[in-house]
Amino acid sequence: MILDTLDLDAAEFARRTGWEIKPEGACRDDRCVPLPAMPDVAVGHVDVRVFAEQLGMPLLHDEAHGLWSLGPEAGGRVLASAALPDIALPDLDGNLFALHTLRGQKVLLLAWASW
Amino acid sequence: MWQTLRAELHPHGLEIVTVALDTGGAEAARRWIDAAHPQHPALIDQAHQLDALLGIVNVPSGVWIDEQGMIVRPPEPAFPQRPAFQNVDPDNPELIERYRDNPRGLEVVREVLKLRIEPEAYVAALRDWVANGAASRYALAPDEVIRRSRPRPLEVAEAAASFELGQHLYRLGDQAAAVPWFRRAHRLQPDNWTYKRQAWSFADPRQGPTDLYEGDWLSDVRAIGAENYYPPLEF
Repeated sequence: MILDTLDLDAAEFARRTGWEIKPEGACRDDRCVPLPAMPDVAVGHVDVRVFAEQLGMPLLHDEAHGLWSLGPEAGGRVLASAALPDIALPDLDGNLFALHTLRGQKVLLLAWASW
Repeated sequence: MWQTLRAELHPHGLEIVTVALDTGGAEAARRWIDAAHPQHPALIDQAHQLDALLGIVNVPSGVWIDEQGMIVRPPEPAFPQRPAFQNVDPDNPELIERYRDNPRGLEVVREVLKLRIEPEAYVAALRDWVANGAASRYALAPDEVIRRSRPRPLEVAEAAASFELGQHLYRLGDQAAAVPWFRRAHRLQPDNWTYKRQAWSFADPRQGPTDLYEGDWLSDVRAIGAENYYPPLEF
């Protein structure tokens, strides 16, 4: 995930990452990870650096462009569950297609490339 | 490539969704999709989200998802038939003549012939799953799907973050700035062919040696052995 700031409003953070900030910590699906204090951001905001450290997500910084890249959680496997994650991608015309609309059919998802 | 098979299996409850892992976007993928005239969703993943999300490291890769949205086979090489690039006679004089001024190209052709590709087995398994659903021995239980999915140590997670930065900068128009992030991704996850081939393709469509990258298709494939480029199907 590409970010241009490490200080995000919690609602924006939830929208982008799927992680909600609750008293118990950062929560997603049926998982909650406690978060330490985040003194460098305002109340109701998330310090992405602190979040990344707690979740074991790499956070890379491109100084020249003022951008960060938040990577996936490290330490386990690519799939923590066999449930297909939410995937919505555009077609040639730019129209977003959500894979979950194919529920009820078997799906063969085929990744290919022009290269 | 898949239209015939889709025509056969769609009436029995299978849909195909193709996803082009193409940072070049619709522009890169369009002519292939247009030529195929697909009846199924044909999507574009410019950011290569699926690579990290599902553990895709090469193309073409297939993932099976059942009617309840559960993955029953994680990514693996998926060919519907023996590809044209393998139906080539390496000693054909016309071919040798065609590559007279491009000896490296002929070496690539010869290497490509050594790739392990198993279309018959894959299609047979797919048909069995479509016919038998969860009772098919090819449909894996959730624990097995998770077990077979790729490990993600820190280097691999960092490779994903690094590649994401690279493709983002590339799409912003700063190709030069993208290169170090692509290179870093390659170093962190050397067995991820999608990260390598995508980056190489911007420097050289033939994916040959360049000043920008440490590797190239032919050298890197020879290093691991062509028969390992597509791992054997685990049936």
